[in-house]
Amino acid sequence: MRRSTRVAALCVGFFVSYHAAAAESPQRWVSAGGALSEWISALGGESKLVGVDTTSQHPESLKALPSIGYQRQLSAEGILSLRPQILVGTEETGPPPVLSQVRSAGVQVELFSAQPDLPTLQGNLQRLGKLLGADDQASQVFQAYQQQLDQQKIRVTRAQLKGKSPGVLLLLGHAGGKPLIAGKDTAADWLLQQAGGHNLATHTGYKPFSVESLVSLDPEVLVFADRALTGDAARAALFKENPILSSTRAAKDGRVMELDPTLLVGGLGPRLPDAMKKLSDAFYPDSAGQ
Amino acid sequence: MTILVKPRALFIGLILLCVLAIWLSLALGPVSLPLFDTLRAALRLVGVPIAPDGLEQAELILGQIRLPRTLLGLAVGGVLALSGVAMQGLFRNPLADPGLVGVSSGAALGAAIAIVGGSVFGGLPESFGPYVLSLCAFLGGLGVTALVYRLGRRNGQTHVATMLLAGIALTALAGSAVGLFTYLADDATLRTLTFWNLGSLNGASYSRLWPLLLISAGVALWLPRRAKALNALLLGESEAGHLGIDVERLKRELVFCTALGVGAAVAAAGMIGFVGLVVPHLVRLLAGPDHRVLLPASVLAGASLLLFADLVARLALAPAELPIGIVTAFIGAPFFLYLLLRGRA
Repeated sequence: MRRSTRVAALCVGFFVSYHAAAAESPQRWVSAGGALSEWISALGGESKLVGVDTTSQHPESLKALPSIGYQRQLSAEGILSLRPQILVGTEETGPPPVLSQVRSAGVQVELFSAQPDLPTLQGNLQRLGKLLGADDQASQVFQAYQQQLDQQKIRVTRAQLKGKSPGVLLLLGHAGGKPLIAGKDTAADWLLQQAGGHNLATHTGYKPFSVESLVSLDPEVLVFADRALTGDAARAALFKENPILSSTRAAKDGRVMELDPTLLVGGLGPRLPDAMKKLSDAFYPDSAGQ
Repeated sequence: MTILVKPRALFIGLILLCVLAIWLSLALGPVSLPLFDTLRAALRLVGVPIAPDGLEQAELILGQIRLPRTLLGLAVGGVLALSGVAMQGLFRNPLADPGLVGVSSGAALGAAIAIVGGSVFGGLPESFGPYVLSLCAFLGGLGVTALVYRLGRRNGQTHVATMLLAGIALTALAGSAVGLFTYLADDATLRTLTFWNLGSLNGASYSRLWPLLLISAGVALWLPRRAKALNALLLGESEAGHLGIDVERLKRELVFCTALGVGAAVAAAGMIGFVGLVVPHLVRLLAGPDHRVLLPASVLAGASLLLFADLVARLALAPAELPIGIVTAFIGAPFFLYLLLRGRA
């Protein structure tokens, strides 16, 4: 008898506290996804983050937060030790047994799609806005984003009417050595196309390339993303490790562009329109500044 | 070879070490629980009726995260070390490890097929999905080992040297097939493959645990019964035969137990190197080559080593965690060198 009242009281207690928690937005967030962390910061939720994964590199201040490791190899207890109320991630976040352990500990787990298209982004931002209690901000941010991409599209279409799209190759490397070339079905390919470039590589995924075939494709623009170096150091390393690149048209015309490799993972992020605009500036120098 | 420790002292020491490892593995983790709560939650888990006030979190972390992880560590560590003894006994060579008969490379190939070819398996029912990787790894290990064993047989006899060379050849072949899958993989699957190859006890759940526990318990009970036969085999195959031991049957059992045990361990926790090679060595350096001691002592030592390695793996970078394969070699190798040099002096 006494026991059953106790159980009933416990159940009621759980019920009430559950509803109370659901009514107010979660205050302690853990994010496992680079673009998601950026969006959370963009929506003013950075102060709520108590931990991020290793792909969350922007904004710079996130690096000071405890790291929960790589997004596909999370540890349940590690996450729980941060006492989060919510864990957000993409469909890559895992492994699945860890997610269910985190869930069973009463942490809300919200997974978002990392598909690089606008409807997905709109849905994601709406959900994030609701969870952060920043609905209005989320829709404003999305509209501004959409506008930027629309302008970008108009600009590219106009430029393509005037002239042929330039042939481009994107090299993903580590301190210049043995670069991988971005082919079809990659975030890099999508980005190049949106910026109005014609990706000369026809394979799928990121693959190593023989230097000879690279030169024979003779790209008009080279885009490189280096994981270890940035700026002139990365450029110098690239040409030092692959001297044959200097014979391409892109190198002779000085059309060698740098791209932040963190833009290539985790779906559409807030820094993407700027990067795209810079790429278009390089692809269509005549239309720059429009 | 001198015996540093008497068997009885060794067993008492190892059992204490193992109990300590189990307790630490249950008591320590990124979430710091008060010791008293851990103790009460542990008692509740074994069925002692204690009021559950305020114990929900401790019970969840202990019951759902740390206990399955500890059991997984015990089983994997024990069975890897035991298979190491079996292989070193079979090849009569202390440099042998379970990888020699192709079970590790076969499992890696199975895993690569499952990870990279994942989209092909997309049509399978949801509930089966998470087990495809483990199942493929297990079957890959078993399949390649069976092939190595077949290649080593001629006229009803198993030639250990032929088997060794066949194992090396098939390991190379499987390695190049894994390389091909690595080439075909996209970025995300590539990282999954890399992490799988480093092993981890992370995300252990009971549903994945039972098959491994059953298999490793079976192997751990069976192999020590063959200790005397393994001792005789140390003298040479024909000598063992003259001592009345069915050498062909013994070889078959050793290969089968290794394939089964290592296959199941690798399927559950990924590739964890070093334990199978070095734990038998450690025990041999301490207590001599008698298999009656070596077999059970290796189980205890392997299980303890893996639990300690896992503690480092989960605490060193908390809240993130290290793959355990990195840690086993990192703590085991210096200790091994120390014993080796001390034994020589």
